[in-house]
Amino acid sequence: MLKARHNAVYNSRVPKMFISYLRPPRGVCPYLLVFFSLYFSAARVWAADWSGPEQQLASKIASVTGPGAVALDVASRSSISKIDSDEIARGLRARLSTLGVQYAKAEQAAASVQISLSENLQNYIWVAEIHQGAGESSVVMISFPRPAGGTVGGQSPAPTIRRTPLWSQDERILDVVSLDVNGKPLHLIVLTPEQLGIYRFQDGRWQQDQTLPITHSRPWPRDMRGRLVLSKEHLFDVYLPGTFCQSTAAVPLSLSCRDSDDPWPLGNEQVILSGFFAPRRNFFTGVLVPGVGNQTTAPSFYSAAPLPRDKYVLWLLTAVGGQVHALDGITDQTVARLGWGSDIASVRTTCGSGWQVLATQSGNASTESVRAYEFPDRDPVPMSQTLEFNGSITALWTESGGSTAVAISKNSEMGGYEAFRLAIACGQ
Amino acid sequence: MRPFGWRSLAASSLLLAALASAATRPQYGGTVRISTRIAPASLDPADGAQQDSITRRNLTRLIFDTLVTLDNAGKVQPALATSWKAEPGTQRWEFWLRHDVKFHDGSPLTGDAVAASLRTANPKWSIFPNGDSVVIECDAPAPNLLAELALPRNAIAKRTAPGKIFGTGPFQIADWQPGKKLTLQAEEGYWNGRPFIDSIAIEMSKSFRDQMISLELGKADLIEVAPEQVRRTMMEGRHVVTSAPVELIALVFARDRQSAEDGKLREAVSLSLDRASIRNVLLQGQGEPAAGILPNWISGYAFVFPVDANLRRAQELRGEVPRAPVWTLSYDAGDPLGRVIAERIALNARDAGITLQPSLSGTADVRLVHVLLGSIDPHIALANVGASLGLSQPKFNGSSVEDLYQAESAILRTQRLIPLFQLPAAYALSPSVKAWNQERDGTWRLPDVWLETEKP
Repeated sequence: MLKARHNAVYNSRVPKMFISYLRPPRGVCPYLLVFFSLYFSAARVWAADWSGPEQQLASKIASVTGPGAVALDVASRSSISKIDSDEIARGLRARLSTLGVQYAKAEQAAASVQISLSENLQNYIWVAEIHQGAGESSVVMISFPRPAGGTVGGQSPAPTIRRTPLWSQDERILDVVSLDVNGKPLHLIVLTPEQLGIYRFQDGRWQQDQTLPITHSRPWPRDMRGRLVLSKEHLFDVYLPGTFCQSTAAVPLSLSCRDSDDPWPLGNEQVILSGFFAPRRNFFTGVLVPGVGNQTTAPSFYSAAPLPRDKYVLWLLTAVGGQVHALDGITDQTVARLGWGSDIASVRTTCGSGWQVLATQSGNASTESVRAYEFPDRDPVPMSQTLEFNGSITALWTESGGSTAVAISKNSEMGGYEAFRLAIACGQ
Repeated sequence: MRPFGWRSLAASSLLLAALASAATRPQYGGTVRISTRIAPASLDPADGAQQDSITRRNLTRLIFDTLVTLDNAGKVQPALATSWKAEPGTQRWEFWLRHDVKFHDGSPLTGDAVAASLRTANPKWSIFPNGDSVVIECDAPAPNLLAELALPRNAIAKRTAPGKIFGTGPFQIADWQPGKKLTLQAEEGYWNGRPFIDSIAIEMSKSFRDQMISLELGKADLIEVAPEQVRRTMMEGRHVVTSAPVELIALVFARDRQSAEDGKLREAVSLSLDRASIRNVLLQGQGEPAAGILPNWISGYAFVFPVDANLRRAQELRGEVPRAPVWTLSYDAGDPLGRVIAERIALNARDAGITLQPSLSGTADVRLVHVLLGSIDPHIALANVGASLGLSQPKFNGSSVEDLYQAESAILRTQRLIPLFQLPAAYALSPSVKAWNQERDGTWRLPDVWLETEKP
């Protein structure tokens, strides 16, 4: 099935990469750099792209009017910007002029040409309505593909949660692992429902090293989830609903997948706990291995976050029923409701008690946000401003080191998925 | 180290956080209750005897799958077929089927089953299985075959006995009382992921008014909303969703143009129509005035067909015809909006000196019709309108936008049809319905919907 799908004749999606991973100088918003770089590169591309359609439409108009004076009006009925439509109008006049069609006022013109820059689902449609003599009119038009996607939008980073873009692509991202050496990215592994993409940072940009297909015998559930976990014996493990995959240790890497209901790791290098994931759903069943103290079962939950204390670990679970449960090995308490979403992840920091919880919550309309919480006792206290995402957050996992988390967001404006690394910066 | 600023945030943040709604993951379970006006006697997607409607197409998509689908940009996406290939000339196509797909009766999706299903809907095609694939040989080049296969009528169905039908879609039939009630159950092993909701209960043959009462009483989660009621329903604070314009309202003449004078009178009627007023008053601002068949979001050029009334020119044309017949104008008896639009059209025509008599008779000279565009592919949509109204099929000289425009213009030049409006599909939802999404053409994405349960 998978092989056939990859051989399909429709175009496969092309991943879009954030153009620079390296952090800009202090005080400069990284999104601005991304935005401006993409903006200006796009502007360069489009300045060149209008010339072909201009020439094509001008030729069609001239073939109807012949040489002579025409009144020309250009109006945009599309997403083309005013700046671009003005540029196109100038271009059309210039090209008509070279074909012997001169621009004139309506009263002096032998014909009037109303050009509309329109569009449909896939294409720009440029239409010229030509009126000559008494009641004679004709319509000529051209079409050409509209560009897909656009610039990468972003919000200003909040003062205490630092967000670093890692990756962006059209296809759903389940998890991302960035392998850094001395704080610099070296490799990036991107988990999607059907494959793993492995990229190398080289010559200032990410280049694809390998693509490893994921084989699975069962259909994936909706609201698909998955987790990438680095391994000491081999390179990494992949946990997917009803499926487990393991990489080899040697390069070139390969991936072997099998049906499996093995529990997924919920903790990190310091705190070990695993939970069974319902293979046809989007939540953990509540069965815990080896358990939190004496507690080996909990209500079904979407995500879990450990908060290590001096003598025990407090585990927070976002239950399917909407409550947040706190398990300390003996008791299971419901935490005060704070409007949390389904996804939480804890990170180790140098702030406060040393561990904070990042929790999702809904923002305005289609946006969602993440906020950091401190747990001085059993009740959460917000410790940061909310960090807005331009869409819904589909995954939030603690990274293997425990000091950062990966958030995956579905961009509501542009479509596509974006992966970010979240870190809490103290004292800002 | 500086003291933490977060402590000062706590008080206000707690309040704000409590007000924010939780960004919860989709929850499984529950039943979505739907009310509809339609009352089909059959669920067979290839049954052409059933009245076409957006809701019927939506029901088909809940139970059945097609080989391919069109996404919101009009691009073809794989469904039951994972890949395909056209021979040069686009007359012969081969489709490779997705593995491990089963019909709701447990039998596997095979090339034989797909071929048998498509033959029922398209008796003129030669269709045969070829191992893992299915070959379709059309009687003429079919460059738009993929868009055609994405139509609900080409959904793959297994017909085992009269009235017994099985699909491969996200929901299977649990209870079916033709024309009255349909209960669907989530298909656990659905190849594209089990829906979040457990079941769908559909009550049929409900008027717009009864549907609204059901929503208000908490007895329905999804209802249809009449175009003229959309604004009011929204002002009442209900969650209303609308599609892009997907339905054409038009006047259709029963006969071809009989003479040049007949053509002048038809043009005079068209020029007399004050579409803007009808839209503002009778449609309460919904829909778009139209003088072309395809809406602009599909064609990109609809604005070249002028929609403005020109009463003076209409009167001139009427004056050029010495004797004008009295035309009867029929509308659907079950469509109160149709009646008031027909009456307004008759008034407009009278201003131009032409008599149109609104009538419920089915054998009128002119009919006020609603017709679905049916596809977001412009070529298929144009052909569908032609077929639905009994007009000549459009002739495309090529695949360019100019060829499309020429084909549409040719239909309009026959003067069998006077387009009036393009209308969207509108629905109202109960607050418990989450993750509602629909395609631009009004197709529901019910497998993605989930129901919010009461939280402590």
